[in-house]
Amino acid sequence: MRALVLFAHPCPESLSAALHARVVETLEARGWEVDDCDLNAVGFDPVLSEAERRGYHEVPANLQPVAEHVERLRAAQALVLVFPVWNFGFPAILKGYFDRVFLPGVSFRLEDGRVKPNLTQITRLAAVTTYGGTRWRALMAGDPPRRIVRRAVWHVTRPEKMRYLALYDMNRATEAQRAGFLDRVGREMERF
Amino acid sequence: MRALVVFCHPSPESFTAAVRDLVVARLGARGAEVREHDLYARGFDPVLSPGEWAGYLDEPGNRAPVAEEAADLEWCDTLILVYPTWWYGLPALLKGWLDRVMLPGVAFEMPRAPGENIAPGLTQITRLGVFTTCGASWWLTRWIGAPGRRTLLRGVRLLCAPRCRTAFAAHYLMDSSTQASRARHLARLTRVLDRFLA
Repeated sequence: MRALVLFAHPCPESLSAALHARVVETLEARGWEVDDCDLNAVGFDPVLSEAERRGYHEVPANLQPVAEHVERLRAAQALVLVFPVWNFGFPAILKGYFDRVFLPGVSFRLEDGRVKPNLTQITRLAAVTTYGGTRWRALMAGDPPRRIVRRAVWHVTRPEKMRYLALYDMNRATEAQRAGFLDRVGREMERF
Repeated sequence: MRALVVFCHPSPESFTAAVRDLVVARLGARGAEVREHDLYARGFDPVLSPGEWAGYLDEPGNRAPVAEEAADLEWCDTLILVYPTWWYGLPALLKGWLDRVMLPGVAFEMPRAPGENIAPGLTQITRLGVFTTCGASWWLTRWIGAPGRRTLLRGVRLLCAPRCRTAFAAHYLMDSSTQASRARHLARLTRVLDRFLA
């Protein structure tokens, strides 16, 4: 079984980086073949270009600019997103992965104008994230990243198992709370 | 009225560009001073770099890489965002504009003491407008939870004046739009804008 881990934090000393390392280690120890994709390290360009926008619906030519990422996504039976929440959403580099790689013919098909799931080989879906603000603050804004994962990504993958693991109020979290969250993520990944 | 219009679409011939033109025209008719940031045309880089992240909390040095954007954001009393909705949210380029420009000391104040919360920093903004297009239907967008709309009209709204007015208009089912549906949307948008800017 193959797991694609998408990581979206620029700094190696961040808590996100520690979470990322824990996810990869734990999955590998449980026998997963991990395809680790650090979007910042590979210099992923998140900006959908004018040419890509014009050719967006032309399957299969549309996936040519991101063919390698499409292949890795299609090869995965599990998808794990590890990212910090910035300004009530994904970092731009991860948002751009959805804009450019989750294309028609890849993540969904349009049948009579309706979106049909097209990544149903992904049976496990998880997000591991940290919020600077409190849970209440995220809820006030409608918690957009949680909805994107639990509804929009769920909608195109239809996984058997889905986990959304979040540490809120990170700016004020104690060392113990951070360590506790790391352990929780480790336990969840063992059971994944 | 001092309006900052942030436009984010790769194509100058797009319907989104026509929406932007209408917004700018209605602002002009009200005698507003307008500054426009066309993010694609400027080649704005949406990726927050390791250096920016490391210096994120260091005010005012943190704004140096985006000095013009930060100055215009502080200058305006009316903030209008015009973009296509992709994957139920903002295009990455516009999301990156938030990541890099909505900084501590610009858009909000970080908690200074234990127990304090994040405080708004854009309280001079009394109007926030969001004008977009959605490939999905109104129903699907609502079921997903309209993350793009919420990011801006709730999230960014929290950073603005307590009684900030908001306006929102979207053309849904954009991929099966017709000349007539687009014209109807622009007519509706004119009415929305005239109420919003009154």
